[in-house]
Amino acid sequence: MPAPAPSLRQALDWGTLAPLRLRARLVAEGVYAGAHRSARRGAGVEFGGHRAYTQGDDLRWLDRRSLLLHDRLVVRQFETETDRALRLVVDATASMGYRGTRAPGAKLAWAAVVAAALARLAGASGDPVGLTYFGGGEATRSVPVSAGRDAFERIVGSLESATPGGDATFDAAVVDRALGGIARSARRGSIVVVLSDLLDLPEVAADRIAAVAAGGRVVVVVELLDPDEASFPFQGTMRFEALEGGSVVETDADVTRGGYLEALERHRTSWEKALQGRGARVVHALTTDDPLKAVRAIVLAAR
Amino acid sequence: MTFVFAFALSGLLLIGAPYFAHRLRRRRAETRPFAPTLLVPPAPPRARRRSDLEDRSLFAIRALAVIALALLGASPFVRCSRLSLARSSGASVALAIVLDDSMSMRASGASTTAAKGHGKTRLARAKEGASELLASTREGDAVAVILAGDPARIALAPTTDLAGARALLESIPESDRGTDLDGALALAKSLVLGMPQVDRRVVVLSDLADGKPEGAPLGEGSSVPIWNALPELRSDGYDCAILRADRASLRVRVRVACTPGAAASSTVARTIGIYLGDKLLVEGAAPTSATGDIVLTLPQAALSSGEPPGALIARLRGTDAIAIDDSAPVVPEAAAGSVAVVVEAESETAATGGAPVVEQALNALQLDVTVRPLPQIPDRTDDLGAFVGVILDDPPGLTPEERRAVGAFVERGGVLLLALGPRAASPPLGASLAPFLGHPVTWETTTSLGADPDSASGALAESASGLRNLEAHRRVILDPLDLSAFTPLVAWSDHAPLVTRRTLGRGEVWVVTLPFALDASELPLRPAFLALLETWVDAAHARTVPRRTVVGVPWTFAGARKITIIGPNGEELPVPQDATPLRAAPSLLGLYRLDVDGRTESRVVQPAPREVDLRPRKLAVAAAVGAFGENHGAVDASPFLAIALLAFVTLELALRVGAGRRADRGLAVAAGSGRA
Repeated sequence: MPAPAPSLRQALDWGTLAPLRLRARLVAEGVYAGAHRSARRGAGVEFGGHRAYTQGDDLRWLDRRSLLLHDRLVVRQFETETDRALRLVVDATASMGYRGTRAPGAKLAWAAVVAAALARLAGASGDPVGLTYFGGGEATRSVPVSAGRDAFERIVGSLESATPGGDATFDAAVVDRALGGIARSARRGSIVVVLSDLLDLPEVAADRIAAVAAGGRVVVVVELLDPDEASFPFQGTMRFEALEGGSVVETDADVTRGGYLEALERHRTSWEKALQGRGARVVHALTTDDPLKAVRAIVLAAR
Repeated sequence: MTFVFAFALSGLLLIGAPYFAHRLRRRRAETRPFAPTLLVPPAPPRARRRSDLEDRSLFAIRALAVIALALLGASPFVRCSRLSLARSSGASVALAIVLDDSMSMRASGASTTAAKGHGKTRLARAKEGASELLASTREGDAVAVILAGDPARIALAPTTDLAGARALLESIPESDRGTDLDGALALAKSLVLGMPQVDRRVVVLSDLADGKPEGAPLGEGSSVPIWNALPELRSDGYDCAILRADRASLRVRVRVACTPGAAASSTVARTIGIYLGDKLLVEGAAPTSATGDIVLTLPQAALSSGEPPGALIARLRGTDAIAIDDSAPVVPEAAAGSVAVVVEAESETAATGGAPVVEQALNALQLDVTVRPLPQIPDRTDDLGAFVGVILDDPPGLTPEERRAVGAFVERGGVLLLALGPRAASPPLGASLAPFLGHPVTWETTTSLGADPDSASGALAESASGLRNLEAHRRVILDPLDLSAFTPLVAWSDHAPLVTRRTLGRGEVWVVTLPFALDASELPLRPAFLALLETWVDAAHARTVPRRTVVGVPWTFAGARKITIIGPNGEELPVPQDATPLRAAPSLLGLYRLDVDGRTESRVVQPAPREVDLRPRKLAVAAAVGAFGENHGAVDASPFLAIALLAFVTLELALRVGAGRRADRGLAVAAGSGRA
């Protein structure tokens, strides 16, 4: 039988994913980091065409020549090089501290590697990047959006000091605190990457995350599971204690494996429906997956 | 079971360890933190039951393994009482087993704590010991079995057929005989010395209670090593027995014998009751001495005059070592036998001052007989029915009626003493001595003055020297044709018979060739005459029906052709048909019912008084030491237990491996579905 996991509420089990900084660089270097053109049209230097004036448009871009010649109110549009801010949201609740026997590290550790790699990619592109958490231990600190080389270091430092903690099962404020700032400050075109196991989150979490995508932002939700959570390899009579919510279930693992897998599938489907229906994209990952592939999948999903 | 063995066996308590471990494991299921716990459904009860069944099979295997392990650990401490022969030189052994089948061996248990409580009689343990000894014999060993019940007898002559010896041991029944250890040892030694093996031994399996506790130590000075193989059989109890219960009218005299000292040591006074069936008629206190009589008077109203023999039972109440001898049938008191003496009074020329000399001699001997003088020879058979013997002194022949009556008397077991003289030699017309003598006798002058003492045999030999000169001038000469049927007891100096005897039917005819008249010879004045009468009376008693005999004393049925004997246990007593005369040896106490040539009678067999004495006889030191074998051995069952333990462990591993593979397959399926 698998050895019991260490105390997950106290420290992050990095496993073979450490050290984070080196790991994140290796991952980031494997990803194409080309410049991206902003889809946003507005103030810029290259003309991008006309469109009909609507109330509220900036009068500076009113095409006076067209008004005089054709007596039509049109505004001029320009294409411009712009940054795409990356907002990382890492689930650091207690459930993310779980590490099965076959995983290289805890879910939070794997998420930290991927988040750091994404931060490095963003930094290489000159895009600002910020980091917030769902829950987390006392040392868990969010990183405000910033650009430049120091931003990556701050992101990595925060991820290294993050510890799993907090119970978000019945506390929607945990989600709101993380997503509220993004919803308010992230501009259109920002990329929001949520790294979470989507377990033990409050029922409103799916709506909250999907709502972020409504503001022209690109939301990529990475559903991260441990292999044990995905396959339920346990045998015999087991007594499972939830890392959040305090629920306890004693069961015969051999018999209930099928039922668990079906419940997990239903859970995933419900999340996908809730997120994809609002424009968010969902990427599934296991902690045994190569972080490089996961980052590529996230980048592809964000385009 | 020794303390060490019990302590070692305490490992069996661990049999519950797998169960408790299982219970604890089930009660405390492995606890794991698991994030998606809410998605895990609880186990349905049906699945739990299936799991229980699988656990039980594994539990059974583990429990068996624990048992095997505990037994394996305890097996070196297992000791059992088992006899085996030791072979110093490896040579074949000539073994004589003296097996005591006396009544004292009926006592249960043994003197040692280890042997007590098994519920076996000492005889059963002795037979087991004999079987164990036989099991340790090898090819080439010779075994003889001698039974020490009185009289000692050879149950199995020396043989190398060990299977036959084992079968014989199984067939040896319990008996109520006395003990004849001396005779059995003498027999055993004589048998062993006749065997060709160099290594000769006599093994005694007895409680040593032969009624002679003060006798010479057993095995002392024996030329053959004697091994007391089962010292735990040595008796240490006490016993009381009813030797006899005789009834005369309403009075019942009960004789009780106890182990000396037993009455004093017994704290509970014992009583004797007379029972008619289960109804107690009368009861009295038992004698407190080692041997004593008690007279009980039966109530008149409680009895009818015609109860059959054995209907009344005398019972000794209370417990002792042997229960079989605590009751005895009450039989009518045996009357002394009567002897009819027919003497022609006119022939008594000598002045004796009273009765004829033969009558006076019989009375002087104070034998257990009543002398009844008859004026003439009875001519009806019934008239002789009350006599055990008839003495005819110089009868003038026998008339046909007398011949028929006396002949029938002899044929039925009577003993006739014929003293022949001048009148017998000249019988009247129609009279003769047939069927005892087929030819006439003659009264002739003799030159022989007396008998040849060297020709005397039996009880007459000691006093035959007084017969050298009988002052007899004439004597009777028997026809040579008749002599062939007779066996001379004393012969004249010229070898003619003086006293001779022959059997006729179930009886005997003794013939003396001189009359008992003093004017014919001085025979009646010689001590040998008294010896002759005493011997004759003993023969008469032996031929009569004894109502009470000691167990083991054989009954002889001279002349009988068909005998059926039903013993007290309801089984027929075997009577060897090839023996002449027919003999039967009762070995059980109680009332026997006999059918002798169509005539029924009852006999009572009583215990030997000495057998009640349970004090063991002393042992010579060399005989008590088990230098010729062992009576304790370890039971080495460890190889079998080790194999069983190995099998259990292998089976347990196989079960676990099988369960693991099934679980792996289940995991593979689960992992596949999880990826999907």
